[in-house]
Amino acid sequence: MLSISNLHVRAGDRQILNGLSLEVGAGEVHAIMGPNGSGKSTLAQVLAGREGYEVTEGSVSYRGKDLLALPPEERAREGVFLAFQYPVEIPGVNNVYLLKAGLNAVRKHRGEPEVDAFEFLALIREKMKLMQMDESFLSRGVNEGFSGGEKKRNEILQMSVLEPSLAMLDETDSGLDIDALRVVADGVNSLRNPERAIVLVTHYQRLLDYIEPDRVHVLSGGRILKSGDKSLALELEKRGYDWVKQEAAAA
Amino acid sequence: MSAATAGTLSPKLERYRELFEKRFASDALIEHRRDAFNQFIQAGFPTPRDEAWKYTNLRRLESRDFAVAESAPVGIDPGQHPWISCTANRLVFINGHWSPALSSMMPQPPGATVLSLGEWLKHEPERAQAYLSNSPSAQTVFERLNAAFAEDGVVIDLAADAMFDEPVHVVHLWTAGLQSSMSHPRIIVRAGRNSRLTLIEQYLGLGDSALGCSEVFTNSVVGVELQNGAQMEHYRLQQEGSRTFHIGQISVRAQEHARYAIHDLAFGGLLSRLNLTIQLQGSGSHAELKGLFTPDNSQHIDTQTRIEHIAPHTTSEEDYRGIAEGRGRGVFNGKVFVHQGAQKTDARQSSRNLLLSPTAEIDTKPELEIYANDVKCSHGATTGQLDTTALFYLRSRGISENDARTMLIQAFAQSIVSSIRSPEVRGYVETLLKGRFSLRQVNP
Repeated sequence: MLSISNLHVRAGDRQILNGLSLEVGAGEVHAIMGPNGSGKSTLAQVLAGREGYEVTEGSVSYRGKDLLALPPEERAREGVFLAFQYPVEIPGVNNVYLLKAGLNAVRKHRGEPEVDAFEFLALIREKMKLMQMDESFLSRGVNEGFSGGEKKRNEILQMSVLEPSLAMLDETDSGLDIDALRVVADGVNSLRNPERAIVLVTHYQRLLDYIEPDRVHVLSGGRILKSGDKSLALELEKRGYDWVKQEAAAA
Repeated sequence: MSAATAGTLSPKLERYRELFEKRFASDALIEHRRDAFNQFIQAGFPTPRDEAWKYTNLRRLESRDFAVAESAPVGIDPGQHPWISCTANRLVFINGHWSPALSSMMPQPPGATVLSLGEWLKHEPERAQAYLSNSPSAQTVFERLNAAFAEDGVVIDLAADAMFDEPVHVVHLWTAGLQSSMSHPRIIVRAGRNSRLTLIEQYLGLGDSALGCSEVFTNSVVGVELQNGAQMEHYRLQQEGSRTFHIGQISVRAQEHARYAIHDLAFGGLLSRLNLTIQLQGSGSHAELKGLFTPDNSQHIDTQTRIEHIAPHTTSEEDYRGIAEGRGRGVFNGKVFVHQGAQKTDARQSSRNLLLSPTAEIDTKPELEIYANDVKCSHGATTGQLDTTALFYLRSRGISENDARTMLIQAFAQSIVSSIRSPEVRGYVETLLKGRFSLRQVNP
């Protein structure tokens, strides 16, 4: 589904990704872990199409398409979704309005009819229940005045409405208490299926107790230094990242 | 004051004198008019050297030769025209002259009077003038010009406890294909104790295409007197054509516990300026100002507000937003003046501005002048561009760049629009803004 090869990315005069390669197949859940400043969030942002980054080398292919050639909205319509580390507050744009506009843009792209207001409301109420979100959400501006946990839940809610093929979650677990973490994890797990790939960018192993990954990668200095199964995450939790770096330096 | 003697007048002012003498030589109120006219002549047009006109240059306005506007036949159906068409109390003015055919009035409730100033001046000039003279005297050059040339407008008089169920809607409409003309409309509101009123003041131009639209000059003056406990909701929509000079003055005096709320929406004109002066003279009186101005192309929109807290326990709340595109230029100057005796004043002011192109400009200046020591006053001003993070967030949900921009621009205007209490006006303005900011490729 997603194939990243030798990706080099710069922001200004700072080199952030240094030849990163990664293969993610349909139905798989990958966790990308790594110390602060290793380039995890940059990777997620670049894949979603954020401006301000320069790809100097390498390529990203998504379902056979050159992902980097598409503007962000085209990526979204093709099924790429990024749950933001810091979801943006947009007072004056209603939550439901945004979701409906997004869903209809995706459906139109797939050649499907737009959902009507009634259908949509039924759909969103069902998803809100899953994410344990309050009714007042419907009338509020996008993330307006939301707590940190509410914002993260809103990201997962958006994801479950848009039903992406490739979902990337950027530090979705940060700032969540254990109950909120469980709700978010349940939301993500409910989206697991053989057609969908999920990439979790995370700092801590904690999230992986709830969302079990198929593969775990260690990102450091802008490239993937080590990959393994879920036991790697546990080992990182115990031993930190330095040993991976030393191992890589020795190789 | 050599400028006052006829021999030394500039050709432009001389032209105004000719017009004045020709039009009003045999007018019943010539003496009152002449006083005002002489004061206008003495002062002349303001220049950028006047602090209050620093950002708004009137050279272009001054250089034009305007005739006094005459009414013209218009073949429009008010029901079909995209105004706030469902208003029941509607007074329509064509080129500054009342049009009974396009106007419509519900039976007036007890104690409430609405009439055309022009009709009143025609039939009872002395009484009308006495009523006018009872208003605060003209302070600014343009008020004096208005006092000299005013021929029509609206008088709204409410006795104690009187109220209109429906808004009073005053429409000023310029017709297409005119010679360069000027009009000096007046609106006078006298609201007695505990009376209530909603006023919609709307300025429009017909046939605003490069060919059909004439250069015209609107110089309007609105005077509002609110007695104790009176409440007024005021909507001002300036949507004149792209070749219109628009100068407006609103003066409000509020007595004890009176409440005045205005939505000042300035979208049109080539050069537009509003002076809004509110005097909170009675304790417990309150003013609420919401404004939105959207200069585009080479439009220039200037708003000057002055809120005077004169009595103690007076409150004011002001929120102005500007959105400038193209080579549009906006000016906002918000002055809050707290007089010595006005203890416990609570005044809040905010000015937020959005620039959508590198050639657009908005100059904003909040000013506080405080002579009392126990007051709460705050102000803030920001000017910036669309938030790129928010733009990316929306696009990452599948929304096109253009739609995302439109959504963010409308969201910015929303805090002003959503506070419009009249559902007719709110719906109308929402549609207007949707048309204005969507379906176009906005390039930074």
